[in-house]
Amino acid sequence: MPLDVIMPALGMAQESGVIVAWHKQPGDAVAEGDVLFEVETDKATMEVEAQGAGFLTGVVASDGDQVPVGDVIARITDTADEPAEAPQPKDDTGAAQPATDDLPEGQTVIMPTLGMAQDSGLLVAWMVEPGAKVDADDPLFEVETDKSTVEVPAGVSGYLAAQLAEAGEDVPTGQVIAIISAEAPAQTVTRSAKGAAPAAKAPEPQAAPKETKAKPAAKLESPKARQTSDPTGRILASPKARRLALEQGLDLYRLVAAGVSQPFHASDIETLAAMPDEVAAPAGAAAAASLHLTADIPAEGFTAFMAWATETAGMTDGAAVMAGLAGRCLDKASAVVAVEAFGQRRLFDVPGPYLSAVTPVDDATPNLILRDLRATRISGLHLGGEDAPVLSLTTSGTGLTLTLEAAQGQITPAATLSLLGDFAGRMEQPLRHLL
Amino acid sequence: MREITLSQAVNEALAEEMRRDETVFIIGEDVAEAGTPFKVLAGLVEEFGTERVIDTPIAEPGFMGLAVGAAMTGARPVVDLMFGDFLFLIMDQLCNQAAKTHYMSGGKLTVPLVLRTNLGATRRSAAQHSQSLHALVAHIPGLKVAMPSSAYEAKGLMKTAIRDNNPVVIFEDKLMYQEKAPVPEEEFLIPFGEANVKREGTDITLIGTSSMVQVCEKAAEILAKEGISAEVVDPRTIVPLDEATLLASARKTSRVIVVDEGHQSYGVTAEIASRINEKAFYHLDAPVLRMGALDVPVPFSPALEDITVPTPEGVAEKARMLVAGEMIHAA
Repeated sequence: MPLDVIMPALGMAQESGVIVAWHKQPGDAVAEGDVLFEVETDKATMEVEAQGAGFLTGVVASDGDQVPVGDVIARITDTADEPAEAPQPKDDTGAAQPATDDLPEGQTVIMPTLGMAQDSGLLVAWMVEPGAKVDADDPLFEVETDKSTVEVPAGVSGYLAAQLAEAGEDVPTGQVIAIISAEAPAQTVTRSAKGAAPAAKAPEPQAAPKETKAKPAAKLESPKARQTSDPTGRILASPKARRLALEQGLDLYRLVAAGVSQPFHASDIETLAAMPDEVAAPAGAAAAASLHLTADIPAEGFTAFMAWATETAGMTDGAAVMAGLAGRCLDKASAVVAVEAFGQRRLFDVPGPYLSAVTPVDDATPNLILRDLRATRISGLHLGGEDAPVLSLTTSGTGLTLTLEAAQGQITPAATLSLLGDFAGRMEQPLRHLL
Repeated sequence: MREITLSQAVNEALAEEMRRDETVFIIGEDVAEAGTPFKVLAGLVEEFGTERVIDTPIAEPGFMGLAVGAAMTGARPVVDLMFGDFLFLIMDQLCNQAAKTHYMSGGKLTVPLVLRTNLGATRRSAAQHSQSLHALVAHIPGLKVAMPSSAYEAKGLMKTAIRDNNPVVIFEDKLMYQEKAPVPEEEFLIPFGEANVKREGTDITLIGTSSMVQVCEKAAEILAKEGISAEVVDPRTIVPLDEATLLASARKTSRVIVVDEGHQSYGVTAEIASRINEKAFYHLDAPVLRMGALDVPVPFSPALEDITVPTPEGVAEKARMLVAGEMIHAA
C-alpha cells in the first residue's frame, strides 16, 4: 500500500510551504523516520520525515516549489519502479488524483491544524451537502478544537464529491476528510473517518511550545452540594463575591483553577485571599518556577543498540524502546510514558524491566513525557513542565542533549537528578539497562 | 409590662383616640352591639354611643362613600370592613376618590380616613373570606398601608393612622386577634415608615409582614439551633416603606428572604425583593427569595389551605439553602 507524502500543515494560518530541498532522490530507499525534504513556511524551516518505509516515487514537486498544504507531492511505494499512478501536482484547475481506490477523483481536503498543540479536530458540522457545488471561499465544514470553533473554507472550487468524516467525529489533523472534484460527481461518497486509513499525517512544528494549562492544584471541595460549572463557561459568582474580588484585586479564575465548585460566594473569596501564590498562580508563573536540567551524551550508543535490537529481537519501534528505558528511571514499579515526536503523542505502558513488555496504550495519564526532537534543528529549550515531568531529546553536534523539565512540586530536585542521570546512562549505553 | 391581645390593643387605640378627638367615629357592619365578629370593638358603643359607633346595612360601597365624604368635610372616620376580601366592593370609593382627592383638589381637600380591615388564611373561611389583598391597595399612590405584626404594633400604628391627614388602610391578621403581646399602658405612637428589627442576626435577613413576622421569628429559632443567625425585620408599614432599614440588613447579611401572606405573583414580596436587588445588588451573596401564598384561591379544605401559606419550617428550609450557597432557581 503506497503512502502519500503530503505538504504538511506546520502553522496556524499556513496555506502552503516551499520545498527547500529534497533529501532523497526519486527511487531512493527510505526508512520510516528518514528525512525526506525540508520545507519552509513563513515561520520556520522544518525537516519532514517519512511516515513509512519503501521507495520514494512519484515526486511531483521540486526544490523551490511552493505547494499548498495537504497536496500530495510524492509517494512511498513498495518498489522503486512502481508504476506511477503518479500524483499530479495541484493547481487551480483542480487536476484530479485518486485518494484511495473507491473514492471519487478530486482534490483532497485535510483536517487542518488550527492550534499549535492540536493533534485532532472535532468535525462539528458539514456546511456543504455531498455533491453540491462549492466555491473556494465557501465554508466547507466547522471544526472545533480545544480552543475555538472555526469555519474552514473549501480552498478549491468544485463539487463536494466525498465526505470522509461524519459530524461529531474527532479526526486527526492531516487526515483527508473530503474530496472536491472539478466536475459534478456521478456519485458521492459519505463515510465515517473511522476505518478509513489516515491518508497522511501532517507533522506539527516541533519548535512550538506545548500549551500549558492551569491544572487544578488542590481540590478544595466544600461539603455543600453545588453545581460545578456553567456550560456557557462563565464563572458563576454571587454579586457580593464579585465585588469583594474586585475590591481586593483577586482573580476568580484562581478559584476555578483550584477546583472550587461554583457558584462562588463571599466565603470563597476568603479562601481565594488565603491562597498561597504558587497554588494560585496561573500557568506562566508555574513554568517560571519549574525545574530545568540538562545532560549531554554521545548519540551512537542508542543508535547502535537499536540496530542490534532490530536485528536480534525484532524491536523496530525506537519510541517504545526509549519509553522502556525512560520508564525504568522513574521510581515506580510500572509507569506510563508518553513519547511525542512529529506532533504525535504515543503512550506506552512500561510494566517492568523487559523492553519487549513495553506496549502501546490508548488512554492513560503519563508519568513521564518523552519529547523526541532529535530530527529537528532545535538545540535547546526551556518550556517548563507539563502534566508530568518532560524529558526532551535534542541533537547537539554528534551527540544528544537530554533536558528534564518539571513543574515545581511535581518531583523533588533530588529525584530529577537521579531521573536524568539514570536516563542519560541508559541512553548512552542501553545494554546497561539489560544487565 | 402587661400583656394584652391584639383585639384589646386595637380597642384601646380607638377608645383613646375617640376620647382625644371627638371627630373620630367608627362606621361599618356589626360594629356597635355586636362589636364585630371578632369582638374587637366590644364596649365602644357603650362609651361613645351609636352616634360615633355606627352600624350600617350590608352595603360596603355605601358606607365607604359616606365615610370618604365625611372625611373631606372634617370628620375622621374609621371604617370597619369586616373582611379584607370585601375591598373589591369599595375600590372606587377608596382608590379613585379617597386616594386621589388631596391631589386632585390641589391640596384643598384632605381625606383623613382609616380603613380597618383584615387578612390571613387558615381560618377555614374559604376563598372569599381568606384573602390577603394588601398588595392591591399598596399599588395605589395616595394610600398608606400599615400591617401590624403584634398587639403592640396594632395599637401604635392605629393611633398614628387616625391622626394622619391622608387615607390609611390597616390590615390586621384575623388569626392574631387573641394573641397577646406586651403593650405599655402609657400612650405611644408608632411612626409610619419605620421598620422594626425584631431580631438581630448576621447570616440571613428574613423580612416578614403582619403574621409572617412571627413565622420568620419561629424560623429564626429553628435556624439558631443549627447555628444559623437570622435577622428578622418587620417593615410595619409597606407604604411608606422603610427601605433604608431593609437595605442595611440586606447589606449586613447578604442573603434575604421576603415573606408575606399575599399571593406571591405581583405581590409585596416581589416589590421588596426587587428594591433590594436594585439597591443592594453588590452586597448579595444569594438571590433574594420571595415566599408568598400560593397563586391559588385559598382552599376550604384544611389540609390544602395549610400548605398555601408560608410556614416557619418552609422559611427555615429555604434559609438553609441560601446560607449553604446552594443554587436556587438556577437556569
